[in-house]
Amino acid sequence: MASTLCRVIQFHTHHFFSSPAVLFRRNKAGMMYCTMKSTQSPDATRELKMPQAKVAPDNYRKLDKVTEGFEAVIGLETHVQLNTVTKAFCSCPYSYGSQPNTNICPVCMGLPGALPVLNAKVIECAVKLGLALNCKLAFASKFDRKQYFYPDLPKGYQISQFDIPIATGGYIDVDLPLEFGGGHRRFGITRAHMEEDAGKLLHTGNSSFSQVDLNRAGVPLLEIVSEPDMRTGVEAAEYAAEIQRLVRYLGISNGNMQEGSLRCDVNVSVRPIGQLEFGTKVEVKNLNAFSAIGRAVDYEISRQSLLYSKGQGDEVVQETRLWDEGSQKTVTMRKKEGLADYRYFPEPDLPEVILTEGYVEKIRQSLPEIPEAKRRRYEEMGLGMQDVLFLANDISVANFFDTTVAKGVDVKLAANWIMGDIAAYMKDEKVSIGEIKLTPDELAELIKSIKDGTISGKIGKEILFELIAKGGTVKGLIKEKDLVQITDAGEIEKMVDQVISENPKQVEQYRGGRTKLQGFFAGQVMKMSKGKANPAILNSILLEKLNSSS
Amino acid sequence: MNNLLIPSSTALRVGTRALLRLSSTSAANSNRIWIGRSAFRTQSPARIRKLTRDFCSRSVPDVRRLAETARITLTPEEIEEVGPKIQQVLDWFGQLQAVDLENVEPAIRADTEGDNLRDDVPEVFENREAIIAAIPSYEEPYIKVPKVLNKE
Repeated sequence: MASTLCRVIQFHTHHFFSSPAVLFRRNKAGMMYCTMKSTQSPDATRELKMPQAKVAPDNYRKLDKVTEGFEAVIGLETHVQLNTVTKAFCSCPYSYGSQPNTNICPVCMGLPGALPVLNAKVIECAVKLGLALNCKLAFASKFDRKQYFYPDLPKGYQISQFDIPIATGGYIDVDLPLEFGGGHRRFGITRAHMEEDAGKLLHTGNSSFSQVDLNRAGVPLLEIVSEPDMRTGVEAAEYAAEIQRLVRYLGISNGNMQEGSLRCDVNVSVRPIGQLEFGTKVEVKNLNAFSAIGRAVDYEISRQSLLYSKGQGDEVVQETRLWDEGSQKTVTMRKKEGLADYRYFPEPDLPEVILTEGYVEKIRQSLPEIPEAKRRRYEEMGLGMQDVLFLANDISVANFFDTTVAKGVDVKLAANWIMGDIAAYMKDEKVSIGEIKLTPDELAELIKSIKDGTISGKIGKEILFELIAKGGTVKGLIKEKDLVQITDAGEIEKMVDQVISENPKQVEQYRGGRTKLQGFFAGQVMKMSKGKANPAILNSILLEKLNSSS
Repeated sequence: MNNLLIPSSTALRVGTRALLRLSSTSAANSNRIWIGRSAFRTQSPARIRKLTRDFCSRSVPDVRRLAETARITLTPEEIEEVGPKIQQVLDWFGQLQAVDLENVEPAIRADTEGDNLRDDVPEVFENREAIIAAIPSYEEPYIKVPKVLNKE
């Protein structure tokens, strides 16, 4: 229920915030610490530019004052929408953005007599994720019905897993962004289970009606519940970013937050340092970007800490709050009246989900390298942490890098090309690495051609952009444009002689002590050679000529 | 009995729907009997019997409250009418408690031979028009429902 309401609100948050007076009646003073402006770019472009979850660092200095003496306890519930072709319990195809109410059938519409049949692919995805999260798998798990009332749920219950989830007791390893001091963390995973998604509700205008689109009803989800192991907004945001990385590496979801394929709810409580029991837990929803997770968590920590430090701890109540991106605050959505009662009971229409050792083993063997393993491997290859985090952030960038390096080129050079000019091009043109025309093979060829002196680094850079934009091969371009580096000392000497004879005035100045003019001569020779002269040979000949007072 | 466990097919029938809510209206323990096999396994048979007995031998059901949790509106006459019916079913369940289940594994569902899975192959339901036509309030392309924002 809770997650459904959140979804509903994402579309029309303004509805809740239409009355500013109610926003912060409870706590005026707390706000002053939290009105910092977001310095973040929109999340859509963030993914390529910034490899790690971002939270404005200056939030922290301000937070320090209020939160001193307190410790936050944070846990996340993450819903991952699987990228199966069909829904979880019926054969309806699902694709984001379809015409509303077109991907429906009696099963996902909850019509009488219709019976669910589980999509085998959902189990496969769950097992993959369970293994990648180092979980213990339940070889016999089951589905349960979770009852709640909302128009996005045609059956009146959600098929989920309650007391026997498919995966329990795992962990995930995370590297914190360097701009927040870096560091490695391991966060516990309580459980991961299979369930179905609900439809979408739209609340338009002031009409007393809402619109329902049931295309998404019955689409498979994996819900991942973390242990309350996080202590800061950065940790929470990076945990979520790592889950996204992981599901993309595993190929089980596109992990897209904007489309709602990855949804995070965060539980935050604060307690005085040294206290064993947890403080009152507040749930925050409507977090549509990693940056929002970090900022919402930090906002909550300061809000709750301030109330506790003012002796108003009883004002921290168990409730659901919404993150409002506009005001950079959380606001009350609803107070919890006791625990929600979903009246779970076993789904009688579905058999137990039985896994065999052989099945699990086969999937284990087929698992790709997970992000953590990749980062550690890159580290061992001798790359710096900045490079490691950038390259491993995006599975397609990592694959590009791996393929390039497999061609036997220098690791650091490959990393530099990808993180430098190639990343800059992708950022400017807003394209992914899969969309550029340059292939890893040609990047490797380019690096080799520079290393063996066939072309200069300068020329290499020039043709790189052509390779990225138009494609082609390094060898082809070198031949076509006659770019082979001139390493013949005699040929270079001729050009040096010509430049010296054409610039007697500069020669005089040079010999008079203005040795900086060497650069001028080198530039002239380079120009004459159309950039092809080998710089080392050029300079040594040039120096010799200029310094010999003939 | 079957109706109790499959609310989807009988969702609009007041009596059965309200019955489902019974488990939530009073004794906290009563929920356990729906939790499933593992809950049964961890409980002693005697304990299970007691839980089930508690569930069934409860005093007269509060129909008004049941209706509220089931999100249905009942007229005073209907409340009058439904109350004894629910009590009847409860009494019937009370009788079932007499059966000795000491050595019987709880049955959650009818056992099927092997798993019943399907491949991830799409199949468009061809009679969508009939589904749409059966929706009480539809405004192309959306289903229209009363605004229920923030009401739980």
